[in-house]
Amino acid sequence: MPGLRGRVVGQHWYTPYAFMLPGLLMYAAMFAWPAVIAIQLAFSDYNIVSPVRFSGLDNFSRLLDDPRVWIALRNSLLFVVMFLPLTVVAPLFLAMLVNLKLRAIQAFRMLYYLPVITSMVAVAVAWRYVFNREGVINWVLSLVGAGPIDFLLDRHWALPTVVLLEAWKNAGLFMMIYLAGLQAVPPDQVEAARIDGANSWQRLRHVIVPSLRPTFAVTLILSMLEAMRAFESVYVLTRGGPLDSTLTLGYYIWSKAFEDYDMGYASAVGLLLWAIMIVLAGFNLVVTRRRDG
Amino acid sequence: MATRSRLARRAGQLPRVGPPTTQATPAGTSRRKLRRIGLYVLLIAVAALFIGPFLILLSSATKPASQDVFGFPPDLIPRPPVADWFREAWTTIPYARFLLNSLIYVGITVPIYLVVSALTAYPLARIAFRGRGVFFMLFLSIMFLPGELMLIPRFLVMSQLGLTDTFASVILPAILSSLGIFLLRQAFSQIPDEIVEAARMDGANEFAIFWRIAVPIVAPTLAVLAILGFVSVWNSFIWPLVTLTSQSKFPIALGIAYLSGVSGTDVRGLAAGTVISLVPVVMVFLFLQKRILNSMGGAVKG
Repeated sequence: MPGLRGRVVGQHWYTPYAFMLPGLLMYAAMFAWPAVIAIQLAFSDYNIVSPVRFSGLDNFSRLLDDPRVWIALRNSLLFVVMFLPLTVVAPLFLAMLVNLKLRAIQAFRMLYYLPVITSMVAVAVAWRYVFNREGVINWVLSLVGAGPIDFLLDRHWALPTVVLLEAWKNAGLFMMIYLAGLQAVPPDQVEAARIDGANSWQRLRHVIVPSLRPTFAVTLILSMLEAMRAFESVYVLTRGGPLDSTLTLGYYIWSKAFEDYDMGYASAVGLLLWAIMIVLAGFNLVVTRRRDG
Repeated sequence: MATRSRLARRAGQLPRVGPPTTQATPAGTSRRKLRRIGLYVLLIAVAALFIGPFLILLSSATKPASQDVFGFPPDLIPRPPVADWFREAWTTIPYARFLLNSLIYVGITVPIYLVVSALTAYPLARIAFRGRGVFFMLFLSIMFLPGELMLIPRFLVMSQLGLTDTFASVILPAILSSLGIFLLRQAFSQIPDEIVEAARMDGANEFAIFWRIAVPIVAPTLAVLAILGFVSVWNSFIWPLVTLTSQSKFPIALGIAYLSGVSGTDVRGLAAGTVISLVPVVMVFLFLQKRILNSMGGAVKG
């Protein structure tokens, strides 16, 4: 690579900027400018009809007194807590399964990945047939004398059901991330452990999991951010109901902004979500860095 | 940690061993066969978990009106399978229009996305300039400005630009992604210097090097991004929901939501409409699955 001083033939000072111009323009128009507006709105009162009015910290003091914010925050955190084992732990076992040297294993990888590429709307419709009061799952429950359960209409079941669906849809993605990690584990070490008499649990615990540390860093942050901002699944499955039992921060922002047209307040809640995501990401970075050291 | 290093050391000392010869005995062979059958049963059971809901959807979509969709025990085999509900879904809502709209969104967004990402990633990988790292971080920061949080301000930006309820408003936010820039920067930086230097000696300017040499070399990465772009545009739902008001501009995902909201839609008709919406994306996936699956691992490893 040439140094900063010696200019390469055919390159001018403006060459890199000329290349990046379209990208920078898009960044400015679709990310930077909206981000500035979001921050500005969080300190304003705006309902689309009347002009934006600066309101200082009003939105934030309102936020502290708004019980629905706390419900949404609790639901979002519950979402994360339930989502983590389903996307950070379970897909590791899926990956180990499809990492076996078996005929047609690629076909199974493909089938497990299929929900990842389908739209959330289609997934929601498909599962509605499964979760129906007279659907397959309630039939299985009836065999053991339980149910029927209206999964998406029951205050206690709705949130776990949404989490389960979201995890089901994303499991294939996490599986492929782990598969890449597994394929980078030196087979010599696993083999040596086997010869030393380590059973499969010990091999997993002492050989495979430690070498997957960088992969865990990726899946952990991905899973947390995905769960924290869960919105589309809530929108198509429950619209935050019943009785706010699936009201997540993401959904609350949407409903305040586009149902109540309370744009300023919605932006303030948005900043709260944004701050939580950045804290989670930072926390993740610190934890995984320290483990590496 | 201690165990691992001990094992690692041991691995170094041991001679490489082939498969133990005892397994060649008849008993060993049959046990291995049994284990393999067990594994396939497990693999198929898990597969049922992932595609079962889609199969139930397909079964509901092809059942005749005389057969119940629900009931204990489940009666999942259509007797006989009928195509009526596909026709019904097709005519209840302007289905062809929605499909065409989605094709337009994909057809315009994906090429622009590829060109913009490649142009942006190239100097970040191959030209030395002050602040290169800062620019790279800037584009990566997109990851922390997720679309869901940008709904309100983007909606306002679009109103200021007079673009709400237009095709452009759907396309514009999808043109830049941190994944695209990240993967392409990676691919560009792996191009051997000699190839680029040779072209430079022949008097090629930087854009010619980019367009005639670098872009063809990173074609596999562009292909992966094209597929991922197709899938994400085809499935996009929330942003079109916010910005679009005219039904004539709806993409297919909004169409499905609309269909499920139309009162009196038969559950079989809704299933049929959903099946149609899945066909293009599943086809693309089946044809290009190897590339997609390999890319996911590569993206994360890199």
